[in-house]
This record gives sequence, C-alpha cells and structure tokens, in this order.
Amino acid sequence: MPNVKRLYLKLLLQERKMALLGIILAVLTAYSGIALLAVSGWFISAAALAGLSAVAAHAFNFFAPGAIVRGLSISRTAGRYGERLSSHEATFRIISHLRANLFRLISRMSWSEQQLNRHETSSRLLQDIQNIEAIYLSAILPAAVSFLVMIAYLITLYIVLPSLLPWVIVPLLFATFVMPWLYSHRVLASETKLHQQHSQQWLSASALLSCMRTLTLFERLRDSGHFLQQQAQETDQEEATAVQRQQAVLLLTQLILIIMTVLVFWQGLLAFQHEQLDGAYAFMLLLLTLGSAEVLLSNCPALANLGLGLAALGRLQHSLIATPEQPDTRHFNHTSSPKLSVQINHLEYSYPQQHRPVFEQFNAQIKGPGWVWLSGRSGVGKSTLLALIYGQLKAKNGTIDVNGISAEQIRLMPQRIDILRTTLRDNLTLNLTINEPALWRALQLVELDHWAKRLPQGLDTWLGEGEWQPSGGERKRIGLARLILQDPKLILLDEPTAGLDSALAEKIYRELRTHWSDKIIICSSHELHFTATQDQSIELTAG
Amino acid sequence: MGKVPQKMQFNNAADLLRQFSQQGKRENRLSVLLGLVQITMTILFAFMVAGILDQALFQADSTLPDGQTWLILTLSLVTKAVATYLQNNVANQASIKIRNHLRQFALERCFSLNIRLFPTFKSAELSNLLSTEINSLRLYFADYSAYKYLAVLMPIAVILASATVNWLVPLILAITAPLVPLFMILVGHKAGQASRDNLKQLNRLGNLISDRLKNLQALQLAGTTEQEADKLFRRSESFREATMRVLRLAFLSNTLLEFFSAISVALVAVYLGLFFLDKYQLGSWSADLSLSQGVFLLMLAPEFYLPLRRLGTLYHAKADATSVAEHLLTLNQLADDRTSTDLNSTLEALPEVHHIYIEAVQSGDKDKALHHPLSIQLEANDKILLSGPSGSGKTTLLDTLAGLYPLHYGAIKINGIEHTLYQNPHWRKHIGYMTQTPELLFATIRENLCLGRDFSDEALLKALNDAQIDTLVMSLPGGLDYLISDAGGYLSGGQAQRIALARVFLHKPKLLLLDEPTANLDDATAQAFMQQLAQYSEQGGMLIMTSHRPSDRHFFNKVITMEALSDA
Repeated sequence: MPNVKRLYLKLLLQERKMALLGIILAVLTAYSGIALLAVSGWFISAAALAGLSAVAAHAFNFFAPGAIVRGLSISRTAGRYGERLSSHEATFRIISHLRANLFRLISRMSWSEQQLNRHETSSRLLQDIQNIEAIYLSAILPAAVSFLVMIAYLITLYIVLPSLLPWVIVPLLFATFVMPWLYSHRVLASETKLHQQHSQQWLSASALLSCMRTLTLFERLRDSGHFLQQQAQETDQEEATAVQRQQAVLLLTQLILIIMTVLVFWQGLLAFQHEQLDGAYAFMLLLLTLGSAEVLLSNCPALANLGLGLAALGRLQHSLIATPEQPDTRHFNHTSSPKLSVQINHLEYSYPQQHRPVFEQFNAQIKGPGWVWLSGRSGVGKSTLLALIYGQLKAKNGTIDVNGISAEQIRLMPQRIDILRTTLRDNLTLNLTINEPALWRALQLVELDHWAKRLPQGLDTWLGEGEWQPSGGERKRIGLARLILQDPKLILLDEPTAGLDSALAEKIYRELRTHWSDKIIICSSHELHFTATQDQSIELTAG
Repeated sequence: MGKVPQKMQFNNAADLLRQFSQQGKRENRLSVLLGLVQITMTILFAFMVAGILDQALFQADSTLPDGQTWLILTLSLVTKAVATYLQNNVANQASIKIRNHLRQFALERCFSLNIRLFPTFKSAELSNLLSTEINSLRLYFADYSAYKYLAVLMPIAVILASATVNWLVPLILAITAPLVPLFMILVGHKAGQASRDNLKQLNRLGNLISDRLKNLQALQLAGTTEQEADKLFRRSESFREATMRVLRLAFLSNTLLEFFSAISVALVAVYLGLFFLDKYQLGSWSADLSLSQGVFLLMLAPEFYLPLRRLGTLYHAKADATSVAEHLLTLNQLADDRTSTDLNSTLEALPEVHHIYIEAVQSGDKDKALHHPLSIQLEANDKILLSGPSGSGKTTLLDTLAGLYPLHYGAIKINGIEHTLYQNPHWRKHIGYMTQTPELLFATIRENLCLGRDFSDEALLKALNDAQIDTLVMSLPGGLDYLISDAGGYLSGGQAQRIALARVFLHKPKLLLLDEPTANLDDATAQAFMQQLAQYSEQGGMLIMTSHRPSDRHFFNKVITMEALSDA
C-alpha cells in the first residue's frame, strides 16, 4: 500500500528549490524587520548620546545617515513579497501533484472499498487540502524562521554582551521548543475532534437534504433541522474550547517572553552602569528582544499545524487502506486456445458483512460466441457473479477460466450507470479517442441518436448533476453505447434494459445481436422474453 | 438561543453580513474596548522605557530605576497580553453566536425551498453551505468586525500619544496613513474581483473532483482513470496559475503595508537622529528634544501600522465571507414564501377521504406550467396508472398531489370541496409517497420505518414481510436497529427501495403515490408487491402509480397518459 506521508515528502523534496527560497526570504524578512527597529534604536540613542560618546559620533560619518535603515526597509518589503509568492507557489505545486496522485491511488483501489469510502474520501480530499497546505506554509516555514531567529538573537547577544546569555537561554528555549510542544499537546486533540465533527456535520446536512420529500411528508423536517443545529452547537462548544486552549498557551508564552524582555533590559542598563556596554546598545538590545519575541510568539502554533497536516495525511491514508490483496481466481488463456469460452469451477463467495454464502460449489460452462442469460430472483447473486467474472470481486475458492481473450477485453455494464458531469461526448468516450461517426453509430444502435440530436448542444450538451439529467432509460442506453465504443470481447450486462419499455428493449437487443455477433454477452435480466433459441441460460438458485 | 425571523430583507451581501453581525454586537464592542486597552498599554510601555532610558543613560547622575518603575513596566506588558487573551476569546464567542443564527436562518430557508429546485440547487452545494461555508465565516465574525474599527482607532491613539511630544512625527504618520487605504482600494478592488473568481474556480475544481470520485466506476470500467488523473492534474495546475495571478495582486497590498511600516520607522529614526545631531531643529513643541521623547516616538512608529496590517491579513476572510453571503442571498431569494399556505384549515377536520377530483390541474409556479392540464376522478379502490414519456411531468404531478409543489392552474377537490394541498400539513396525514430514488435517512431501519410515529415490532416485521425484505433485515447486525449509513450504505438499490415500500405499507395512508416502485425489482418481487397493492386497494385505498413495466398495466382500472410539453 502506498504511503501518503512519504508521497508528500517526495513531492516536497521535488519542489525543494522553491520551498527553500521561501524559507530564505521569510528569514530575510524577519531579520530585516527586527534589525530595522534595533538599528534605528541604536542610531537615535547614539545620536542623542553623541556628546557623551565620541565613538558613536564618529560612527555616524560612516553611516551617511539612514543608509542601513533604508536598506533594511527595502529588503524587508521585497523579502515579504518574494517569500509569500514562492512559498505559495511551492505549496500549490505540491497540492496539484497530490490531488492527481491521490486520484490515481483511489482509482486503483478494489471495488468494495471504494463503495465504502466514496463519500468519506471525496470529502477528505476536498476538505483536508487546507490542512495539508499548512504543513509547509504554517508549520515548516514558521518553524524554520523561528529557529533561525533564535539562533541569530543568541549570536547577537554573544557579540554584544555575552554575560546576558545565561539569563535568556532558558526562557528562549522554552519559547522556541517547549511552548510549541505544549500548544500542540493542548490543542491537537481538540482540533482533531473538531475536524471530525465538521465532517459529521456535512454528512448530516447532506443526508437531511437528500430526504427532503419524505421528511416534509412525515413532518420531520423541524426535528431533523433541530438535530443538525444541536450537532452544530456541540461543534461550537468544541471550537470555543480549542480557541481557549490556544489562547491560554499563547498567553503563557507571552508571559515567559515578557520576563525575558525585562531581564534583558535590566541587565543591559546594569552593564552600562558598569561600563561594559555602550548606552546606545542597551536600547538596541531591548528592541532586538521585543522583535524576536514577536516572531517566536507568532510561530508558536507551527508544531500543532504540523500535527494537523500529518493527521490530514493520515486520514487520507486511512481511506486508502486496503484489505489484503486477494489473488485473482480468474485465469486467462488467450494464446493456446483461441476459442471463446468461460468455465466456472467450484466457485465460493460470501459478502464480508453477511454470513450466508452467495455461492457454494457453483459450476457453469459458457461457450461462445453468443448470448448467455442469467436468471433467478433478486438477491440470488446475479450481479455478484458478473462482478466475479469481471474481477471486481475476488472469489474465496474455485476458479474462473476465461479462454480466448485477455483480462483487458472484458467489460461490465453495471446496474447503476454513472453519468459524469461533462459533455455527452466525453460521457460516451470516457477519455478514449473516438471519431464522430463512430459515436453517432453507437447512439443509433441504442436508439439514442434522435434524443442526442434534440439536446440543446447535441453531443456537446453537459450532462450530470445540476446539468441535463438523463432519465433512467437514457442512462442505461448511454451505458450500452459506452460498451459498443469500447469494443470488448466478453461483455457482462447487469439489467441493461430495466426501465425501458419492451418494444424499445426488443429493438435494441436485435441491433446488438447483429453488432456483437462475435462476442460472448452474459446478461442478467428480469425479463426473459428477449431470449432466442440458440441462447444459453444459467438459472441461479439460492444457497 | 434567539429566534430568527422567518423573513428577512437584504440589499446585498454586505447588508446580510451586517444584519447578522448585530447578534454579536455586545461582544464586538467588548473586543474593540480590549483592543484599545492593548494600544494604551503599548503607549504606557513606550513611555516607561523612554523614562527609564532617560534616567539611566542621559541624566548626569545616571541611576537605575527603582522597583516600582520596573513593576509598572512589567505590568503594562502583562496587561496587554491578558487583554489580547480576553479579546480573542470574546471575539470567538461573538463569532460562534452569529454563525449559530446564520445556520438557523439558512436551515429555515432550505425548509421553505421549493422541492423541485433541488435538482438545480445541488444538494451537495447546499450541505456545503450549511456546514463548511458557514463554519468558514469564523475569522470574519471574530476578528474582521472588530478590526474594522480598531484599524482606525488604534492608529489615532498612536497619533494622539506622539502628538504630546512632537508634531512632525505624527504628521509624517498622518500623511502616509491615507495613502494606505488609497493603495489598498486601488489594488484591493482588482484583487477582490480576482479573488472571488478564484474562489468560484476552486469550487468548480472541488465539484469536479467529487463528481469524478462519485462516478469513478464509469471511468474504471472503461479503464481510463489514468487519463482522468492527468486531466485533473492539468486542471489543478491551471488553477494554480490563476491563483498565483490573484495572489501576486493580493500580496501587493500586503507588501505595501509592510513597506509603509518599514519606511515610517526609517523616516522617524533618520529624523530623530538628525535632530539629535543638531542638523536641524524642527517639529518639537519645545526648543529641544530629549532622548526619552525620541525613544517614545520611535517605539510608537511601528505600532501605527500594526492594526492596518492585521486588517490586511483579514482581507481574505472578508472576500470569503462575501461569497458565502452571496450564496445565502441566492438561497434566500429561491426560498418560497410560506404565507399563502394554511388558507383553509377545513382539511384539519377532514375525517376520511372518500373522493378526490383533480380538475384540469397543471403543476407549476405562477408564470410557468410544467405539464398539460389533467383531470382525474379518484374513489376508493381506484388504481390509476400514470404513463407517458419521461419529461412529461409524471413526477411533478405526484409532487403536486403530495402537496410538495404548487398549482399553476386548476383545482383539487376533496370530498367535493376545493382545498389548497400545497404545504398543507393536514393533507400529509392522508397520503403516502414513494419517491423514485428511495429516501432513506441516516438512522436505524426502525427509525426509517416509524418516522416519528410509534409502531410495535410486530407491525414493523409485518410491513417488512409485505415488502419481502424481512429476511435480509433480520440477517443484518442489529436487525431493526441496523444503522443505515450514508446513502444506503451496504444496501443495494432494490433493497433500499423495499425498505421504503415497507414504510408505505406500515403507515397505511388513504392515497398512495408511487413513482416507479418496481423499477429495481425482479419479476417475482414485483409481482408480490403488486399483490400487496391489490390488497391495499381492496381495503379502500386509492393509488396513483407511474411505471415503465409493461406487465404492470393490466393491474390498473384506469390509465392516464401524459403528453410531453412541446416546448420542454
């Protein structure tokens, strides 16, 4: 199973140039911001003290007043702009790759897992992106900045007044390492819970809205709305708790930094009294400390953001987790025996949640080409058998031998035909390259050509949710047209004409019989009056 | 929790946000007040630092300040930190309160939304609005509404404070200040439009991904998921490029503030330095400028732009809030007015429905009919098949008869008296409606069957047996208490439909409306189901049903054919 966290790391390394540039510029911005204020402080106090300190007065002549200050303001401004752009560029590139790669991973997942996770996965893929963006933007970047600001602060202190180091080292380490840890420790659990509650809220809302008719008729709309509000209020409660905890840790951090600031100021003045330090530097040290403290404080949530981002990746990972890969019980033999046939031996299958087996020691033999009809009452396993032959489901025991074709030449038409939200053309081709006459030919075979011509934009009419909605019968026929275009050798049809009136169904079967004369078509249907004498038939019975 | 009025009028998105902001007025005022405490403490801190520096460095008998001075210095910082803590908590309280009201409002509007609009106003979009989008207004109601005022008040406080010692520095600040909003408007106007477009694109991308995941099977069966992933990547990349174009503009306003903030510190520093070096003597109220005054001015200069920068970072919150408010406005406009309902309450006293006459009925809104006029006579034991091509309005007519959709024309007479069925709660007791796609709630099977009324287990099992789904239900973990998770969960389409059927059998309404009930059933089950219907009809029930199944036809005693509207 692919590891989503590793995938993210790989993508981050792939974009390392842009990501690194973002960090460098962010550090530059922070440094120049702090230095700007500190140098200005030094500058004015040295100027005011010029009469007292000849050294400072001398220094001014080199400064061409304000050159450094101006330089710093420009580098701070430009640094900020560049940092914002490059860090966002890096993030969005990573997200683009992540989206496409996750889509790939999901589409390779086995059938039943997708069914199970479909709603969850899609909401995660959409909602968690923000948390994943935060891994670089709100975790790695600020953590790097606050670490480097702390280092720079320590180096400056070491140069200016080394005796201060023992005073600041403990609060500084607290603010850089311990407080972010505490923040994440206090906040992460409640933020994770909040996230769960938000997805739950979404699910409840969508469940409520999809049952509007029933809820209205049974006068249950208010109750359901009330339930939704209640759920939201619980979420609000959790959110208030999360914010309170965040703010409490930030307040504590601030108090530690305040103690450090006052200490530095006091020690600076003391050093001046003992003539260890120039007076202007005492003010500069204060401003330096204030500036660094601000950066450290605002980067306190970095670790928690990392935790949230990793949790989001973990959730995505979770929705990808597969049951152990089962061996394919189908065998394809298309080189030695060219004749089309399917042989099912001692097939055993039962659904994971239901105890009753669907198939026990099931045998069948199908010789092609031609039509094979699956019959039996609903729930007896017609769809299951088709899914087993297609390979969507894996048998517990037994074998399915398919002769004369390879695995790629089987196609299944499921009961429910999915319509993508795109044009009719794209819905028919499904990313294959198919020319226009072939499309019209397929539509004609399923008696949809007139319908397609009448659509507002013909083949380029958009179908799907919120667009033109095909009826049940039209959906079925779109499903059949897709199969005609894909041109497989072994065709599995699950209730292809349910919902069509029988005259139309008969017409379509007639067309398909001629068009698919050289293929095996296994078709499950409730209506067996389309059967021809030469057709084979398999009747499924329960147990 | 306060009650949200049923009907509200809004001029535009900003008006909607403002009206709802009223709910958190008190907290907002407190938040502004706490912001002012912060800036006061900042000024006090600068003042104390200036005094200490003056005493320690500049006076001839330089001494360290006493304990009391240090205490005040420390307390000013501590008070500021505590005020920040309180402000954030209070602001979040306000935000929670306001969002709660907004959610209530949106729910109310959804409930009065015309049911036919659901295909157009996608339910996914609505559930996003109800949950994610309203939650995303957190920052807007928490911080933006307070900083809207603080961004003006805090700089004024800084100007006033620095004006006590000098007139040139506040003048420099005051002159650059209007430039900020000016540039912000110039850049912001374009950026705002672009960011709204971008948000729309993001939504579109989100919808695309969720659509493709929902309908993944089609692509998998065609074996073309890889191509779709490539397409998705290209879409995502072009979205990134578009976003970066927006951000380049948006960051410009951010950068501009950074620039002004930096330049003002630089200007003030250079000015003070030159003053002290006796290059010129301008701007001070007195002839001289002490170091303490200089320090005070320098420390306040960056504080001037801080609240403006904060407002700048909240800009996104505002753009997001505007687009959410626009969605709410659309919903508000689409929602039907409910005032016209309950016109006649005679239905309330209606003991029994004996006879229904549907007279030249056309469903639709005031200005548009959705099908041809139709007349049907219904008495006890009547079984009516509604046939016609898809799109001829069969489902719409059933919706209308269920009172979920208004009449465009015609009348419906119950026992000879005309009644308004639309949104009439008294009518709902008499009917059962089985929709085309079975509507199963995210609840246990028991709750799905009972729907608020009380039934014994025997009655439930009898109904499940009638719908031929009892064996399956009993084999599920928990039986009747099995939780049906999102959109049916493990149940197949046919199974879900049979549970919906059991619900109809359980409630035994007088008039039964069935929309394609046999579409997903096999022959045997369908036949058994029709037998149940026959029994129901013999007991005096009336039913109207749509079906494509030819074998069902002989069962009915009337067939009504609907023609497609030619202009549809």
